[in-house]
Amino acid sequence: MSNNDILDMYIYETNTLLEQLESIVLDAEKENTFSQDNVNEIFRIMHTIKGSSAMMEFDTLARVSHRIEDMFFLIREGTMSVVKDEDRPALFDVMLHSVDYFREEMEKVEAEQPLNEDVDSFLGNINSLIAKIKGEEIPAEPAPKEAAAPAPAQEAASAAPVPAQTTEGSAEFPYGLRVFFDEGCGMENLRAFMLVTSVQGFCADADFAYQPAGVESDASLSDTVIEHGFLLQFRSDADRARAVTIVMTAGSVHSYEEENFVPAPPPPVEPAPAQEAAPAAQKPPAAPAAQAAGGGAQQHQGQKESLISVGLSKLDQLSAIVGEIVITEAMVTGSPDLKGLHLDAFSKSARQLRKLTDELQDVSMSLRMIPVSNTFQKMNRIVRDMCKKLNKQVKLTLVGEDTEVDKTIVDSIGDPIMHMVRNSMDHGIEENVQDRIDAGKDPVGEILLSAQDTGSEVIIQISDDGAGVNDEAVLAKAIRNGIASPDVEYSHKEILNFLMAPGFSTNAQVTEFSGRGVGMDVVKSGVESLGGSVSITSEQGKGMTTIMRIPLTMAIMDGMEVSVGDSIFTIPINNIRSSIKTTEEAILHDSVNGEMVKMLDGYYPVIRARDFYNLPGGAEKIDDGVLMWLESGDCSYCLFVDELLGEQQIVVKPLPAYVNNFDIKNYGITGCSILGDGNISIILDAGDLYKATRG
Amino acid sequence: MSKENVLFQVEEDDIETTAPEDEGAGSRKHLIFTVDDLKIGIDANQVVEIMNVYTATYLPMMPDYIQGIFNMRGQIIPIMDIRLRLGKPLAEEGILIVIDYNNNQLGIQVDSVDLMLDIPLESIVPIPSQSAQKLVSGMCTLPDGSGTMLVLDCEQLIAHGYGD
Repeated sequence: MSNNDILDMYIYETNTLLEQLESIVLDAEKENTFSQDNVNEIFRIMHTIKGSSAMMEFDTLARVSHRIEDMFFLIREGTMSVVKDEDRPALFDVMLHSVDYFREEMEKVEAEQPLNEDVDSFLGNINSLIAKIKGEEIPAEPAPKEAAAPAPAQEAASAAPVPAQTTEGSAEFPYGLRVFFDEGCGMENLRAFMLVTSVQGFCADADFAYQPAGVESDASLSDTVIEHGFLLQFRSDADRARAVTIVMTAGSVHSYEEENFVPAPPPPVEPAPAQEAAPAAQKPPAAPAAQAAGGGAQQHQGQKESLISVGLSKLDQLSAIVGEIVITEAMVTGSPDLKGLHLDAFSKSARQLRKLTDELQDVSMSLRMIPVSNTFQKMNRIVRDMCKKLNKQVKLTLVGEDTEVDKTIVDSIGDPIMHMVRNSMDHGIEENVQDRIDAGKDPVGEILLSAQDTGSEVIIQISDDGAGVNDEAVLAKAIRNGIASPDVEYSHKEILNFLMAPGFSTNAQVTEFSGRGVGMDVVKSGVESLGGSVSITSEQGKGMTTIMRIPLTMAIMDGMEVSVGDSIFTIPINNIRSSIKTTEEAILHDSVNGEMVKMLDGYYPVIRARDFYNLPGGAEKIDDGVLMWLESGDCSYCLFVDELLGEQQIVVKPLPAYVNNFDIKNYGITGCSILGDGNISIILDAGDLYKATRG
Repeated sequence: MSKENVLFQVEEDDIETTAPEDEGAGSRKHLIFTVDDLKIGIDANQVVEIMNVYTATYLPMMPDYIQGIFNMRGQIIPIMDIRLRLGKPLAEEGILIVIDYNNNQLGIQVDSVDLMLDIPLESIVPIPSQSAQKLVSGMCTLPDGSGTMLVLDCEQLIAHGYGD
């Protein structure tokens, strides 16, 4: 395994853990408490992140995760009751911040950028929260300390936990053992750490602590050890007694003294006397907790074994080969050499082969399918953050999270969905709760996000029960922006379409979340680039619904093959309205040499594929070819080609990168496909082709 | 015996005769082909395949030196006529060399493929600065004394699409 693989693994694993963490925190926030399982899980996640970050030498990440681990250690020991109600929002905030922090850093790691070294203020937040959990009255104490010494950041950070732990450690581990090493023996920090390892031999990590922390890696702590000694703290007296024997036999130990902790005058929330009085009562909950954590980890391991992660490029390769096999199979069984022969055994085997290749194709397609739940879950976070910022009460309902969609689609619908959810939060749900109550609605707004698989396409629906679209306001805005004309009467549907016109944003002010001048038009173009469509419905006072329809896979599509001279083109079936054979006389000419034809009730421009693409051959007279009436978005026109070759399901292949550099995409050439006989057909995009002819 | 076979024969001979002394990074195998009486060499590591028979599918809206695309075992590869690319007159027919440079594949149509030769890297000298010759990264005298070879600059050849 190369270094890069390890790094990839680390990033992948950490990101997975972060996702898990975020959903735990969001769920817990709704309950306003962490269940003991959650606490164990978070503890385990932080422990893993700490370990792997330290291994990858991302010290800041390891430090932050270590502190969070410490914090959850306290919560695990004392259950959620150690966190006072008023501190809980802060706890959830800190946890979500830390998820953000780790995500940001992961992005940097991925982009090979230097990490943010300045984590002190963040650590300060965690530390002060830890202090609060312990019930200590040191408000804002860590912060000024760190602010005062920003230059030696490393030192400040490692120093900060020390005072906190001295007091805390004693409260929890009342039986201390202070060890002094021989003067000038050297490497005191490592000697201290060796003691720690021997103590670990008989005592669980959770049952003892040591001061100063980090002796194994920080040689500068030697001085502290020389001056103040090395302090081991135990939960029980018996453990300490065993440690004493070890210390006595260890080399270079000058002296040791036993210290017993006396509770500090202001009694901490976690009452130390009670703990001392009933050590037996304290122990049992800790043990099952540890077991539960172990069980959870095992379960997790089990899950991991049944899943493997494969690079997307490998899957692409696989589906490309499967696509080839399907074509080759057709080539073999339909070979002209077999014409006129009666081969019973061959036909039988060929049918069997076809069945298997079809199955193979289905399986390879399904490999790329992943559920939309991850994308949906992310919206929870957005709704939560915006609720706080905008002071609105909104709940998010998710439906059909387990709908499976092609990986590339999942990746690209994230942004449009996020945009729509933000829009609903920002513009949809009423500013004022009273407005909702007056309108007879639930004071808590609702945003519904649903996914549905219809077999050929996936329908994603985002609806809110907010104020809905105010037609007059939208129209006024559209007129102001020059999108609409003041003299024309627009229908309700047309007005809604203005929302998706470029440069339209109904919010008067640019807010943090939406309305940056780019708006729904970005959503629309994003979805259209996936081959899908967006539609909006709204009823004033009742809310607004956005529906995105996206074809399930883009790799295979139904197309009509047409020929122009020697070239073969494929036009997507859903762009074709009809095809007509007509005569030269039916063609009308306009003043700028353009051609038009009358269809049903309207006149449509005629584009000759041969002339537009400068093709070497092809029919010149309209009588000798076929007019294809194409539609895409709001453009509708006729393409003149030689002949229709037939409808076919094709495997879409991208054009080579070299060719794409010549911007042929703008001329309506989007890809190609290999035909049954090994020839290549060129796939046309009806919309882009039309735009290209308009200059 | 087709040209292809001759070519591989030469390659094998080369391996036998020169391999022992060529362990160092001092020399590189080059495939030498002819375009309008010019001998041009290309690093053999970048050559994927040499093909005699292929059918190009015309691709509209491309510069004239791109003949089109063709299907090589399911991969779509553009074909460049190196004569037109270098501003030479069009030839009747030729042989296709498929090259792969940084995962960009390109077929180059040339007049004929000559042989595979080990070229010591130090014998490749830069082209005179006043020469306006593009797409060439250097030149060298062939070890067998049969003439001078231009070294094709694959990077420029493939990157050129990005510029113009």
